[in-house]
Order: sequence, then structure tokens, then C-alpha cells
Amino acid sequence: MSGHASNNPDPKTAVLWDTEYHGHDVISTRSLGFFMYLLSDGMLFATLFAAYGVLSYQHSYFGGPTPADFVKPWYTFSQTIALFLSVLAYGMGMTALKRRSRGGLINGLLGAFVLGALFLVLDVHDVMDLASHGITVATSGGTSAFIILTQVHAAHIFFGLLWILVMIYQVLRLGFTTDTVGRLLSLRMFWHFQAVIWVFVYIFVYLWGYMS
Amino acid sequence: MSSGRGYFSGFLISTLLMLIATFLVSSHAAPPFGLLLVITVCAGISIIAQIYFLLHIDISEHNIWNTVSLVAFIPLFVLTIGLTWWMFSQLYLRTMPPMPGMH
Repeated sequence: MSGHASNNPDPKTAVLWDTEYHGHDVISTRSLGFFMYLLSDGMLFATLFAAYGVLSYQHSYFGGPTPADFVKPWYTFSQTIALFLSVLAYGMGMTALKRRSRGGLINGLLGAFVLGALFLVLDVHDVMDLASHGITVATSGGTSAFIILTQVHAAHIFFGLLWILVMIYQVLRLGFTTDTVGRLLSLRMFWHFQAVIWVFVYIFVYLWGYMS
Repeated sequence: MSSGRGYFSGFLISTLLMLIATFLVSSHAAPPFGLLLVITVCAGISIIAQIYFLLHIDISEHNIWNTVSLVAFIPLFVLTIGLTWWMFSQLYLRTMPPMPGMH
């Protein structure tokens, strides 16, 4: 997908076949590959949603607590705000990268980390609170599917936070190289993708569960 | 391409829609079926906004292959969730004993 400059080639000397390999655009190739990985990650969530969908019937809760009993919409909304702000912070870090501002990028990464960690703290507190009320994965099929789906998303956030720390270290040590910039782009896609998945989780698991 | 304005627009749109959805649900503003529909629409618009503003899924030459990949995957997502849901709802219909309070 690289273009050659060719203005009015002279028919006598024009090169018809490119005999040399000029190399491909490493970053855009890797970005497409990573995006396709993210789509497979979306398949992972699709299967979890499918499992939750078939385990959220009346009888799936075995007469026990249903999401209508334990979902706290405004509490989970605070998680939403934390995650969306984290995603915004990371985006701002990337625009700083475009301006070749290393300080701006680090600030964005740090902001994304802190806000993502806030999301995780809120989430873990929620799960522990559920457990203290006797609502665990062992309570019923429905609660199991609910907890696993939400916590798999939280696990993605956790590993994303580790990755952010690694990138902060790499940018401080190596600066902006092809490798580090490519990884920052992949992490951006990963992080933004988590926000998209969270919309699905929030609406179709938390809020729908609260309604039913 | 990444731009501060684009990321901020995506943030604003999705946050506002999630706020509306949460407010409607927690205040029980409408009968359940209507509410489910409204918050699904909120989710749909929010997801489209995020996919466009955050993931840069558009038909520019730079991003076209990402867009093609996503569009090719969407039927897979629909089938995975939809077919599974349909299979199990049919299964439950035919095999679950009638239970009090079952809809």
C-alpha cells in the first residue's frame, strides 16, 4: 500500500517492474494485525454475552438474587465515567504524540492509568460487596454468568493497565521509535475498544439486568 | 486520524447517552419494555459514535482495511449471540417443566 511518485515517466526509461523490495509500512501492517486481534477479542466477549443471554432467564437464578436485586445503576455509572475519562486521557496522550511531545504523552498515559485503576478499584469493591451478601459465582447460573462477564472485562482493563506501565517505561527509556510508537497505537486501539465493550456490558448486562 | 476534538466528541456523546440511560432506568420513567428499547438505542448510538471517533472506523484510505475487517466480523457477532439465544430459548421451551412465575 505504498505509492510511488510517477509524474510523466519517459517511455524509453520508465521502470515497468519494481525489482527491489522497498519495505512495507511496519506500523500500519502491525496496526491492522492488532485490530484483527481485537476483533477476535470481541468474539470472546460475544461468546460470554451469548452465555449470559441464555443464563439470564427467570429459572437461571434458581430462586435466588437476580441483577434487579444487586445492580446499583449510579454506582456502575461512576465506573463508566472513570473508564471513559481514562479513554479520553489516553486519546489526549496520543494527540501529544503527534506533536512529538513526550511529556504530553506521559501525562496522558499516567492519567489513563490512574483513571483505569479507579475503575478497577470500584469494580473490585462491587464484587467484594456482592460476595459479602452471599452473591458469588456459586450462587446460581445467572449470577455466575453475570460475574464472569463483567470480571473478564475488568481483567482486560487490568492487563491494559500493566501494558500502560510498560509503555511509560519504554517511552522514557527508548523515546519514540518505530516499535514504541507502534505499540502505543496498538494500546490506544485496545484501550478504546474496552470502552466500546463497556457500553455493551453496561447497557445489556447491568441496566437490562436491573430492569428485569 | 487521531484528533483531540474527535476523542472529546466521542467521550461527550457516549457519556451523555450513558447518563440518559442511567437516569431513565433508575427513575423508572417508563414501562420496562419501552425503557429497554430506549436504552438499547442509547447503546447503539453510543457504540457507533465510539467506533467512529475512537477507533477511527471510516472509509478513508488510511483506515479502510480496519473498516472492512470490522464489517466482515459483524455477522459473526450477530450469529454467535443471536443463534445461541434462539437455540436455547427453543430448548427451554421444549424441555423446561412449567415453573411458577416463568414468562
